[in-house]
Amino acid sequence: MAQVGSLLRRLVPLAMLVAMIGIVGGVKPLFFSVYSLQTQLSAAAPLLLLALGEAGVILLGGIDLSNATVAALATVLLAEWLGHGPGAGIVAAVVLMTTCMGAINGVVAVWGQVPSFIVTLGAMGLWAGVALVASNDSTISVNDPQAINWFGGMSAGVPNAFLVGLVAVAVAAFVLRKVPGARLGMYAIGAAESAARMSGVRVGVVRVAAFAGAGLFAGLAAVVLAAQDLSGDPTAASSLLLPCIAAVVVGGNAITGGVGGAWRVLVGALIITVLDNGIAIVGVNPLAEQIVYGGVLLVAAGVTVDRSRVRFVK
Amino acid sequence: MFRAEGVMKDFPGTRALKGVSMDVRVHEVVGLVGENGSGKSTLLRIAAGVLRPDSGKLFLRGKRVSFNSARDALRQGIGMVFQEQSLIPGLTVAENIFFGAETAAVRHGVYHWRQLYREAKEALSLLGLDVNPHSITESLTFAEQQKVEIVKVMQTTRAGGGEPLVILDEPTAVLDGRDVEMLLEQVRRLREVGSVIFVSHRVDEVLSVADRVYVLRDGDCVFECDAGGTSRDDLVKEMVGREVVAARYGASQSALVNDGAPPLLEARSVKSGICKSGSLRVHKGEVVGIAGVVGSGKEDLCRALFGAAELGGGEIVLEGRRARFRSPADAAKAGIGYVPSNRRVEGIASGLDVAENIVLAAPREACWGPVLSSKRWGELVKHWIKQLRIITSGLHAPVEHLSGGNQQKVVLAKWLAKSGLRVLILDHPARGLDIGAKEEVYRAIRQLASRGMGIVLLADTLDELIALSDTVVVMRDGIVSGHWDGRQGKKPSEAEVTGLMV
Repeated sequence: MAQVGSLLRRLVPLAMLVAMIGIVGGVKPLFFSVYSLQTQLSAAAPLLLLALGEAGVILLGGIDLSNATVAALATVLLAEWLGHGPGAGIVAAVVLMTTCMGAINGVVAVWGQVPSFIVTLGAMGLWAGVALVASNDSTISVNDPQAINWFGGMSAGVPNAFLVGLVAVAVAAFVLRKVPGARLGMYAIGAAESAARMSGVRVGVVRVAAFAGAGLFAGLAAVVLAAQDLSGDPTAASSLLLPCIAAVVVGGNAITGGVGGAWRVLVGALIITVLDNGIAIVGVNPLAEQIVYGGVLLVAAGVTVDRSRVRFVK
Repeated sequence: MFRAEGVMKDFPGTRALKGVSMDVRVHEVVGLVGENGSGKSTLLRIAAGVLRPDSGKLFLRGKRVSFNSARDALRQGIGMVFQEQSLIPGLTVAENIFFGAETAAVRHGVYHWRQLYREAKEALSLLGLDVNPHSITESLTFAEQQKVEIVKVMQTTRAGGGEPLVILDEPTAVLDGRDVEMLLEQVRRLREVGSVIFVSHRVDEVLSVADRVYVLRDGDCVFECDAGGTSRDDLVKEMVGREVVAARYGASQSALVNDGAPPLLEARSVKSGICKSGSLRVHKGEVVGIAGVVGSGKEDLCRALFGAAELGGGEIVLEGRRARFRSPADAAKAGIGYVPSNRRVEGIASGLDVAENIVLAAPREACWGPVLSSKRWGELVKHWIKQLRIITSGLHAPVEHLSGGNQQKVVLAKWLAKSGLRVLILDHPARGLDIGAKEEVYRAIRQLASRGMGIVLLADTLDELIALSDTVVVMRDGIVSGHWDGRQGKKPSEAEVTGLMV
């Protein structure tokens, strides 16, 4: 019985997503057109990738405020460097760099004993500054997009960017299910850090890995963004920070840590995408868009937060 | 003063109380004993307004009452001191005592500081407590905080004007020797102010402090008596419903082998926290018990041996080789396990299920290659649930839903599941467990030793410690003050050990 109950609760975010699609599609049937759906999925991809990385950090009870900014910086680096060497190598180097940026957050948070909120707030400012300097505060177009073109394309009518997101979700789900450090380590640290430590879990290593993961996914998001826009923008991606945190929470991951999963992030990212685009599609007065956005987000979070395994909702 | 009549309470799947009645008279200490799961906590929570009974009546000072919340009960004069402390660490003692109360010193939520401290001082001295009301609460020892907590509840329940009823749920569970005595003295003083319901697993304490005793078993009140004419054995018999085997610590046959091998684990003048110089040796199959009052440094020594506290000096030697543990993970890797005394925070990982908890320390055992295998994991967990007779509704039951004894078995299983475990450090493993569960933990300890595991034990009582240990080490003020080597076959008496403890 309890099993059925918890399964039902886990389906709440999915039901929320279906309901929102139903409402938007009901008002504007054009929402279901192939072109519209492709646009939605393309838009969802960078958000999904960022949210996946964010979810790993949140699962441990931390937060990463810098991932979207790191992605913005990475789009600038991609735009500047592509064409000055082997494309695949440059993409790999940029993703490796973002992974290291994430890992630095983790190292400072763990060994400096600084709360992740503050560490990543600082990192956000730092990398935003670097991005501005590197781009001279302008949008830089990608001169040689050959290496990343695929990410802006389609396969069988589905945007490749979204396929990348799906694969990333599947890999993350596998890791969270089967790899001991994630399946036991991450959940135990998020739910009961003292007990995890006293059971011999290498808390520091796991936390650094989670931040590095957030950096890795930020790099992937940057590749997708650069491919979609064919440009690097020092600030554009930064606006994805709050939507990506919202996606994690709305999908049913506890902001306090210990409860969550990769598929929940997928649902959450889709909810936020539908919400974001749906408002415009339905034809809300542009001046009132923020009101509707905030209101629906509150309701969505209120309905989908899984309180069954969280003792205190902070 | 207070009366419960035919109180019934059902929880999903069990009937916790089957119609219990109890009386508390004015200026009386009523003892309440029973094994875990006998319904004690449920009854107390109903009296304190935390739970509502399904049927039955409550009377307070002759009038029928029903409480909507714990706050409601407090206002009417019934307060409970819970097992977990509720003081706010950063506030002064006086602020904590009056926290949430409206008295002359706190009007409309505004403090009148001088009066606050004066009243706090009065309240403290009423219960014979020598604590400065200006002290910041977290600077007090655990035992002192516990006493302040009792003063706080007394003060809050007295605020209404009537005589208060204070409920103490196992206040001595985490205290040692002298602290227990002082707390019992505090309870006796509390009797002058109002009435008390006193719950403890330690039957001797209940008999020494209570006027009357109720015994609960399986949700029924099975026995009521005056504390004066009742022996410990009578009560224990009523609690468990059967005769208790005299040797309740299990056959204390030593499994020590004298093969001249180096000790599994050796501490040489270890310095950590309040432990100034702790030395001990644990051999194969040996149970080394460390005796000492709170503040003797025995906990810090154990935590240092597990890498959970920084080593400030001295060395740890593992089978003849010097070891350096920077974290519990290092110690665990070297084959040392640790069962912490703070079971709910450091022992079980609440939020995770039973299966996850059991493999937390040794996930490799449940792996196929680098990834977890559901099959191996399931087999491993089932094996340990059966071995230790863990009672759970399933492999995936949330671990916090288990009873205290079964939670402790999960913590034990977590370490036993680790192959290559050589030394197990048990920090008050039977703390807060009922007699049945204690017996099972004791049996497990002896079994482990007989299989060649080295064990370091901190115990709740001296007789428990001496009965279970081969070797007894006594600590006082951070240094080792006495030592009885198990291989010489002589066990100390409680008096001898106590003499070196204080």
